[in-house]
Amino acid sequence: MSENDKYYVERCLDGHPDDYRYLVRRYQGVLLANLAGKLGSRDRAEEAAQEALVRAYFNMGKLRKPDSFFSWLLGIADNVAKEHERKEQIQRQREIVRSFSEESSGTELSQDYALESAIAELPEAYRKVILLRYYGGHSCNQIAEQLDMPLGTVTKTLSRAYAMLRESLQQQKQAEVYEV
Amino acid sequence: MNCEESKELLVAYVEGLLEDSEQQAVEEHLKDCSACQAELQELTGLHDRLVTNGKALAQSNLEKDVMNQVIREQNVRLKVTSRATEALKIRRTIMRSPVTRIAAVAAVIIVAAIGINYIMAPSVTWAQVIEPILNARTIVFDLIIGSEDSGMVQHEIFAGSRIRRTMSNMPNMTMIIDTDNEKLLALDTEGKTATYADISGELGDRHRSFIKFVRQIITQLQEGQVKELGEKVIDGRKAIGFVGKGQNEAVTIWADPETALPIRIEAQLGQEFAFTMKNFEFDADVDESLVSMDVPDGYTLEKTNIDLGNSNEEDFIESLRIWAEIIGDGTFPEAIGTEATMKQMPLLVQKVTAMQVSEEKGTQIGMSFAKGMLFHQTLETQGQWKYTGAGVKLGDASKAIFWYQPQGSATYRVIYGDLSVKDVAPEDLPK
Repeated sequence: MSENDKYYVERCLDGHPDDYRYLVRRYQGVLLANLAGKLGSRDRAEEAAQEALVRAYFNMGKLRKPDSFFSWLLGIADNVAKEHERKEQIQRQREIVRSFSEESSGTELSQDYALESAIAELPEAYRKVILLRYYGGHSCNQIAEQLDMPLGTVTKTLSRAYAMLRESLQQQKQAEVYEV
Repeated sequence: MNCEESKELLVAYVEGLLEDSEQQAVEEHLKDCSACQAELQELTGLHDRLVTNGKALAQSNLEKDVMNQVIREQNVRLKVTSRATEALKIRRTIMRSPVTRIAAVAAVIIVAAIGINYIMAPSVTWAQVIEPILNARTIVFDLIIGSEDSGMVQHEIFAGSRIRRTMSNMPNMTMIIDTDNEKLLALDTEGKTATYADISGELGDRHRSFIKFVRQIITQLQEGQVKELGEKVIDGRKAIGFVGKGQNEAVTIWADPETALPIRIEAQLGQEFAFTMKNFEFDADVDESLVSMDVPDGYTLEKTNIDLGNSNEEDFIESLRIWAEIIGDGTFPEAIGTEATMKQMPLLVQKVTAMQVSEEKGTQIGMSFAKGMLFHQTLETQGQWKYTGAGVKLGDASKAIFWYQPQGSATYRVIYGDLSVKDVAPEDLPK
């Protein structure tokens, strides 16, 4: 983590589009993790993440608080995902993906789709913490700073997110057993 | 420590976030509790799974694709809607800094004060089409200074001695002008601040509204100076045109042939200054609050003293220096004048913001620039001046960048690239 988000956001607004790359680097993994679970495949997630990042760039003027770039970007990604979902009848997609995912055929599919879709179902506050911690390479202290909450709250949120993820993964497993 | 307490701490334990004493307590408990051991194993499994998946996704590289798309789209958008981007930039910069807000206010005053020290011989009224312009109680219209593709549109609500004015390249600035009392109220609708400016004095003598200005011109044109232009389609409507030409000015009015209401007015003053008015609405109901000179509820009044009166040559030279040094990175601009000033204002605001000077200094730069350009406005409609500085480097004493003839003077004042000034006889003017 070199400069903070606000710095790069303002650089972009001041006519230095090239500096956007640092924000892309910082959040691409986070976006992919957020989107892969929602959209079902790595390729789709990449496409949507790219779209979200480009859309964010061109709408940056509407971002009222430059230091809340991450939350805002995540909101854009969620909108993009919704649009994609609508287009593609995601439910059917998921079933197909699920049946394929056991063969784990590398490039096309996410490596751990079950986990990603569990993350996608987390309420936003929990999702953000998980995404930043494991996909954005933030320490818990950095998350506390980024999301403007005490470290204790981050730990509690993380703890609760683990519980929800476990429950969700458990349910997925049962559903698969039932389907088969 | 019991199981419940232990379980609450296990995620933090896995993450290595516990203090030594807590960690020890958890470890103590784990030794004897198989349930918690199982729980820990589950959590560690999930933790590893997250870390592995995180690493896998982090390997992806969107950077190149995103940046390519951003740059490509940016270029396309720049071409198509450079105005929107400009507007966006200026809004952002104005929002961030009080310095720039004041600079913007100054810029806006320039337009408010546009060259109305314009004198013509009195004469008679000329045609039916000018009746609404002369007599309407309120007129709402759009105004474009300079060429129509300059991209800057001013929207005006004219209601007698009051005017409400907004500009497309500074979307959060609203001006309300009281021409009777020679006062201007500038509102920053985003930062919710209000600033009063005194526009009396020399500025007051010149200051009237565009409508009053057009009224003055058309009432003073002599009958024989008006020509009919015939019919033409203007903004998608059939229109009949008239042009009134005075010695140094021309006003073209395109009007609806049935109602005689003007559709479009084009004015050319001297060689350098032109504006277009269109999208007229005559005698519309204008809510009084729109043109009220009171600070609206929820706005903070800024105690800045905006003094733009009595600008002189020295101010003008200072504004040329700002133009070259700050806006042009050391080179004088392609053109100067009201149109160029309004176009360059967003860039000046940006550059001043980037310089990170104090609020006081930033304000001073904005004011100086505006004040110098006001001096130029007094010359703008008269035509006894020439700008030859395009591309000249600041400091180049060998090149003249500007000359003008002061009122009643036999000689000319010539300004050079190093901003020195000399009195020069007409025959010795630079070619």
